[in-house]
Amino acid sequence: MSTIVWNREGVVEDDRWASNGEESAFVSVDEAMELAATGGSDIGVLVEPADDVSRLEAILDRLAIVALDFPAFNDGRAFSQATLLRDRLGYEGEIRAVGAVLLDQVPFMLRVGIDSVETGHEPTARRLTEMRLPGIDLYYQPSAKPAEPTNTYSWRRRAAG
Amino acid sequence: MYRYDEFDRDFVSARVAQFRDQVERRLTGEISEDAFKPLRLMNGVYLQLHAYMLRVAIPYGTLSSRQMKMLAHVARKYDRGYGHFTTRQNIQYNWPKLADIPDILEDLASVEMHAIQTSGNCIRNVTADHFAGAAADEVADPRPYAEILRQWSSLHPEFSFLPRKFKIAVTAAENDRAAIQVHDIGLQLKRNEEGEIGFAVHIGGGQGRTPMIAKKIKDFLPEAHLLSYITAIMRVYNLHGRRDNKYKARIKILVHETGTEELAAQIEAEWAHLRESELRLPDADIARITEYFAAPELAVRAEGWTELAAWKKSDPGFASWVARNVRPHRHPDYGMVTISLKPIGGIPGDASADQMEAIADLAEQYSSDEIRVTHEQNLVLPHVALADLEPLYRALQAEGLATANSGLVTDIIACPGLDYCALANARSIPVAQEISERFGDQARQEEIGDLKIKISGCINACGHHHVGHIGILGVEKKGAELYQITLGGSADENTSIGEIVGRGFEPEKVTDAIETIVSTYLSGRSGTDEAFIDYYRRVGAAPFKEALYGDKAEAA
Repeated sequence: MSTIVWNREGVVEDDRWASNGEESAFVSVDEAMELAATGGSDIGVLVEPADDVSRLEAILDRLAIVALDFPAFNDGRAFSQATLLRDRLGYEGEIRAVGAVLLDQVPFMLRVGIDSVETGHEPTARRLTEMRLPGIDLYYQPSAKPAEPTNTYSWRRRAAG
Repeated sequence: MYRYDEFDRDFVSARVAQFRDQVERRLTGEISEDAFKPLRLMNGVYLQLHAYMLRVAIPYGTLSSRQMKMLAHVARKYDRGYGHFTTRQNIQYNWPKLADIPDILEDLASVEMHAIQTSGNCIRNVTADHFAGAAADEVADPRPYAEILRQWSSLHPEFSFLPRKFKIAVTAAENDRAAIQVHDIGLQLKRNEEGEIGFAVHIGGGQGRTPMIAKKIKDFLPEAHLLSYITAIMRVYNLHGRRDNKYKARIKILVHETGTEELAAQIEAEWAHLRESELRLPDADIARITEYFAAPELAVRAEGWTELAAWKKSDPGFASWVARNVRPHRHPDYGMVTISLKPIGGIPGDASADQMEAIADLAEQYSSDEIRVTHEQNLVLPHVALADLEPLYRALQAEGLATANSGLVTDIIACPGLDYCALANARSIPVAQEISERFGDQARQEEIGDLKIKISGCINACGHHHVGHIGILGVEKKGAELYQITLGGSADENTSIGEIVGRGFEPEKVTDAIETIVSTYLSGRSGTDEAFIDYYRRVGAAPFKEALYGDKAEAA
């Protein structure tokens, strides 16, 4: 199995932002700022872990998608970047995780406001295709993705629906 | 004690099922050891020298009898009949089979226990003063706040892949028994002039290869802001902590390289966005959690005073044990009893399944069903009537648990070292055992007085050698073990990092060197009321260097 793009609805076929061999449809944050400054829109930006996402605040309405890079499974900066994009900047467009995306992180990614993932990890792709996620539907903390309060303590949530 | 509600029970069961699925995927080869590693670590499973090791969380070191009995059951059924209590108030099992671990976790879940976040680059088990809720000198019980932090940090989606592990400790007394200044975040619970509860917040303490004392970044954080402010710290650390070098990835390095003032300002700026968010703690929630930790009903037992005096007079061994291992409780008819897991010549922190069961029964009978684990690898019965001390002592004696050495030279902290640990460069346990044997005579130990020896088998410092009055660090030099000695460390409210006294010692010479250090102190101290650490702070390293190395001291 090759690389797939997946969201809560299932595998996304023919996604325009899917990585396609060498070619990347995404531009860097610097390039996105330049494109926006010259009237560009419908931009797909790739945010690296060291990038400051607040730079995107002024051009949010020009973005079609924000890709957050996970260069390795243990680099968790993008979890904070996604949280800031949603909670602080109020970005409502698509956020996608790309890079070293592994199955057991996907539930965390969804909770911080990431909508879709791209992964080439075969066992991960298979489980996602089967819609078998390993997450727990009870949360001990609020996060960017809205969830239902419980009738216990203020910090607890449960998955909506 | 905190009791699970339905939410907690469902969460922990779901977590066991989740881990069972992960283990199955590993056993069938669907995921590689590399990919499995971060998953098993988030559930306390390490791959050690000889076997997998499972570390079970004991939140803020508080256990009920029922829980202790389950720890005994796990030791007997899945391990070799013992467990090892750690410096983070947890317990480790050294010989479980990977395939059994989901069943172990299920057994633990039946008594409201788990192994979540006892390792990995996430927020670890929150530790607290082992005398919490019993000590006369505390402002309020720190454990409700530790419990709130435990819950909030469990499988936190934003903070599960931090640059490095993250440790939080809470104390509520001026006399810091939780070593908060050597933690990533150290919280000191206090009251302001209006009588409201809040915390002094320290960040960036730690041991390892770059020991650092925490810096205070907030003098009074109102309790309602506990989660919002800690979220701000965690977010700044997650985004900006170094990830290029695991030895420079702890928050202490970020504090050091950014500067305390600048980093505090960044945290403050982040907090400004969060302080009135949904993370603000309602008073009612704090109150509900606090109710779980209400002090047990302790009956008046005034007869204990006269009985105790008579027992002490008739049995000097009992008198020594009371003098060393019993501390005043806030109720005058009660005491807080330390059960030493440091028998002379034994392995620090180990307890057999039989001992655990005996302790569980004694806690039920004499200590309102409560047991604590200390970061010094001992256990505590926090609520014992003075009138019950004598029968308790007899029962502990029968189990080999009545060693009267709390705080003395043989009350040694030691990491597992090269006997178990994949990271170690040198053995720790045999060094501790030999020192313990050498100084085992009770009268001699008492003559020496308060003296904390702490031993680590490598620079990661799990044995806390940096903060030992005498610290011993095992290193490897040209294929052989060598032990460096540091002096003057301390982990209390006057935290200090020990200084290396000179060149290292071969394994067979370490105990002699400790003997020389102790003799130097005994002959130099102003009197028995000048403890080792006070003497060292008065005179410095010079007399010790002279005694250890003579004329060659300068060359070292």
